[in-house]
Amino acid sequence: MLSSLRHLNGPQTMGNGPAFWSGFAVLVVAALAYPLGFDPYDVGNAAYFLIWVFAALGLSLMWGYTGILSFGQMAFFGAAGYSYGVISINLDATGGLTLLSFATAVAVSALFAAVLGYFMIYGRVGGVYFGIVTFATTLALAAFMGQTAGPEWRIGSARFNGFNGMGGMPPLELPWFGGPVLLEGTVLYYAVLLLLLAVYLGLRVLVNGRFGNVLVAIREDPLRAELLGYDVRRYQLAVFVIGSALAGVSGALYTAWGQFITPATMGLPSAALPIIWVAFSGRGDLTATLLGTFMLLLGFQALTVYSQQYALILMGLLLLVTVLFVPAGFVAGFGRWLQGRARRLAARGA
Amino acid sequence: MDAMLEVRGLHKRFGGLRVLEDVDLAIGAGEIHCLIGPNGAGKSTLFKLMVGTYEPSQGQVLFLGEDITARRPYERVMRGMSIKMQVPSAFRELPVAQNLQIALQRRLPISEIPADQARLLALLDLGRQAEALAGDLSHGQQQWLEIGMALASSPKMLLLDEPTAGMSPEETFRTGELVQRLNAEGMTVLVVEHDMAFIRQVAQKVTVLHFGRVFAQGNIDQIVSDPRVAEIYLGKSHGE
Amino acid sequence: MFAELFSIAYQFADVFAFLILSAAGLAIIFGMMGIINLAHGEFITCGIYVTVIGVQHGLPLPIAQALGALAAGLIGIVLERTVIYRLYDRPLDSILATWGISLIVTQGMLVTIGSTWPGIGTPAGSFQVGEYTFSTYRLWLFLAAVLVMAGLYLLYMKTSFGVLSRATIQNPRMARALGVRTPRIYAASFGIGAALAGLCGALYAPTMTLIPTMGVTFIVEAFVTVVVGGSNVLLGTVPAAVVLGVIRTALNAWQGQIIGQIGMLIAVILVIRVLPEGVSGWLARRSR
Repeated sequence: MLSSLRHLNGPQTMGNGPAFWSGFAVLVVAALAYPLGFDPYDVGNAAYFLIWVFAALGLSLMWGYTGILSFGQMAFFGAAGYSYGVISINLDATGGLTLLSFATAVAVSALFAAVLGYFMIYGRVGGVYFGIVTFATTLALAAFMGQTAGPEWRIGSARFNGFNGMGGMPPLELPWFGGPVLLEGTVLYYAVLLLLLAVYLGLRVLVNGRFGNVLVAIREDPLRAELLGYDVRRYQLAVFVIGSALAGVSGALYTAWGQFITPATMGLPSAALPIIWVAFSGRGDLTATLLGTFMLLLGFQALTVYSQQYALILMGLLLLVTVLFVPAGFVAGFGRWLQGRARRLAARGA
Repeated sequence: MDAMLEVRGLHKRFGGLRVLEDVDLAIGAGEIHCLIGPNGAGKSTLFKLMVGTYEPSQGQVLFLGEDITARRPYERVMRGMSIKMQVPSAFRELPVAQNLQIALQRRLPISEIPADQARLLALLDLGRQAEALAGDLSHGQQQWLEIGMALASSPKMLLLDEPTAGMSPEETFRTGELVQRLNAEGMTVLVVEHDMAFIRQVAQKVTVLHFGRVFAQGNIDQIVSDPRVAEIYLGKSHGE
Repeated sequence: MFAELFSIAYQFADVFAFLILSAAGLAIIFGMMGIINLAHGEFITCGIYVTVIGVQHGLPLPIAQALGALAAGLIGIVLERTVIYRLYDRPLDSILATWGISLIVTQGMLVTIGSTWPGIGTPAGSFQVGEYTFSTYRLWLFLAAVLVMAGLYLLYMKTSFGVLSRATIQNPRMARALGVRTPRIYAASFGIGAALAGLCGALYAPTMTLIPTMGVTFIVEAFVTVVVGGSNVLLGTVPAAVVLGVIRTALNAWQGQIIGQIGMLIAVILVIRVLPEGVSGWLARRSR
C-alpha cells in the first residue's frame, strides 16, 4: 500500500520533482487558509468551483490518458444529481443518510456508465461514434427530464418538475460527536477540498502505475496494446466507468450544495463546458486539467456577471483556438515551457 | 514433433473475393518456419488469421492442440504467442524504456522489470536510447524494439510479419542472427518474409502461398531449387 | 377514413421533408471531407434571418429565400478556406471546432441583434381534407425536398463537377494526381453544403419564430439523419429519412414532439451499434 505512493510521481504526470511538490504544498496551504480571510459567500463560491473539477479530472482520465472522448459527462452529472435528490428526499435524509444518498447517487451514475459503456465498447463502437452516442445520450436525457413537468412524474415523494428542476433535497450532513454537521459554507468547502485532494492524488497513483501504462498504450495504439496481451475493452470500460463516476461525484455534490438540479445542466451549451475546460487546459495531464479548469471557471463566472453571452463566446473561441492551434492544451503547454526553463537554468547552474 | 501452431482447412472470403482457400499448415515446436509467396498471395491475411485480428470464413486455428479460432488476439498472446505486425507500431510518442515496460509489466511485478528491461535493451543494442522516444529511432531500430517487446512476454512462439522490411542488408543479417539465437534457445518462430537472403539465412521449413492456396511446402533447399516456385515469382520458367 | 390516411401521410411527408432538407447539406460535407459540421444549425439560422429580413425589406419571398441560401453558401466558402480546411478527415476535431464556431455565432447573435426578431407569416393558406385542415405551404416543402434530392442526383451523377467530386471522395490522392483541383472541390462542396443549409432555413423561415439559437431545432435531426444514413447523400440520406420519418411520425402521434425527438436520439444510438457505417455503408457492403 505504501509502496503505491511511489507512483505519485511517474511518466504520466508533468510535475514530479521537489520544485513541483513545494509549489503544490504552497497551493494546498493557501487553499486551506482561504476561508480565514474571505467572507462565507466567497468561500461557498470557491466550493462551487471545486465541485466541477471532479468531472474535468474524469474527462481527462478518459480522453487525455486513454483516448476516449466522451460527451457524456453532463449526462452522468445529471443522473447522479437527480438520484441524490430522489434518494435523499424519499429517505427524508439527515446525518449519515445524506452520505448514503450521496454514495448511492454516485453508484447509480457509475452503473449507468457501466451499462452504456458495455453496450458501446463491447459493441465495437469507437472513435467519433463513441462521441456521437454519448452526445446523443446526454441530449436525450436532457430532453426527457425537461418534459417531466406533470405531477405524475415522480419517484416516491420526489417530483422531477420538468424544466423547473427538482428542489428541496437536504444538504449533506456529516455525523459527528456533538450532532450532525451541516456541510454548507466553509465546512462544505473543506470537505470538497479534502475530497478533491484525495481524488487528485489517487488519480496520480493510478495513472503512473501499471494501469496508467496500459491506458496510454491503448491511447497510442489499441491494436498494439491488445497484441501485448491486454484485454483492451476491459480497460476502456473501467476507465469509462471511473471517469463518468467522477462526473457523478460533481453532480451529486452540486445538487447537495445548491439543493437544486435542473435539466439545463445536461443540455446545450452546458454539455460542452467540460470538454472546453479539459481541451483548453491540456487533457493529457491531471495537474494541467485541475489548474486550467479552476482558472476557466473563475474567468467564466467573472464574465458571466457582466454578460453570459460574452462568457460563452469566449468559451467557443477558446475551444476553436485550442483545437486548431494548441491541441495539447494551453496550461499543459505553459507547464512544459516552465519545465524547459527549469531544466536550462539547472544545466547552466551545474 | 507436435505442432505448436496449426491451421486446418482455412478459408477467408471478403464479400465475393476469395483470399485464402483450403489452407493447411502446421508449425512444429522449435521450428523456424518461413511463409513466402508473391504479392497478393494471402500471406498477410493468413498471418492475421493466426493472430486473431481476422476471423476465418471456414476452418480452424489451433495452438498447442487447443482450438483458438474464436479467441481474441490478447487471449492468444496470453497463451504464449507473441506478435510483431507488419506496420511498425511501437508506441512512438513514448520512450523506448516505457515501451518495454508496458510489454513486461503484464508478466512481471514492477520490482523485477528493470532487470529484464536492461537485458532486452542490451540484446537489442538500444541501451543508449532508453529514454529516447520510440518514434525518434531509425526504422531498423524500431523494428528491433518491436521484436524486443514481443520477446518481453517470454513467449512460446514468435510470429513476425516482415521484420526486415526497410532494413539495410547488414541489419537484416543481424536480425537473422537474433532469430537463430532465439531459436537455439528453443523459440518457435513463424516469419512472413520477402527477403530471400534472410529466408535462406534462417529458414528451416518454408511454405509458399500462391493465389490463396498452399503452393509448395518443404525445407529451404527443396523450395529454393523448385522451378515451379521460381516461376510463380518470375512469371516464366527459370532455367538454372 | 381517407382523411385519416391522408393525415398520416401528410405528417410523414412533413417530417420526411424536414429531415431531408436539414440533413442534405450536412451529408454532403460529411461525405466529401469527413467533417462533421456542428455549425450546420447556424448556416440554417443564417438562411432564416436573411430570408426574413429580405421579406421585411420588401423582397418577394422566393427572392429572399434564394438570397438566404446564397448568403449561407458564400459564408460557407469563406469559412472553409479559413478554418475548415485544417480539419479534413479529423471528425472528432471537426466536431469540437465547429461546436466552438456554433457557440460563437449563436451567442454573438444574441449580443448583437437580441433574442427576438419579428417573424413573417406562412404563405399559401390551407386546404381541407375531411375534417382536417392542412397548411398548403408545408406540402410545397415536401415538393422542395424531392426537388433538392433530384437536383443533387443530377449534379453528382450527370455533371463533370459531380464526377470530379465523386472521384475526390473515393480517392483524393488519385484525383489530385489526375489533375483535379481538390481544394476547389472541397471549397465548392462545403459551399454547396452550407447553401443547402441556408436553403433549408430559407424554406422554413415563414413557419418559425426567430431566435438566434434556433439552429438547435434542426441540428439534432440533421445529425441523426446523417449518422443513420452514412456518408452517401443519395444512397444514405433518403433511406435514413424514410426510416426515421416513420419512427418520428409514429412517436409524435403517440406521445408528442419531445418523445419523438428522444426516439430519434435512441434510434441513432442503436443504429451506430448495429450498422456502424450507416445505411449507405451497409448497402455498399451488401452490393459487393
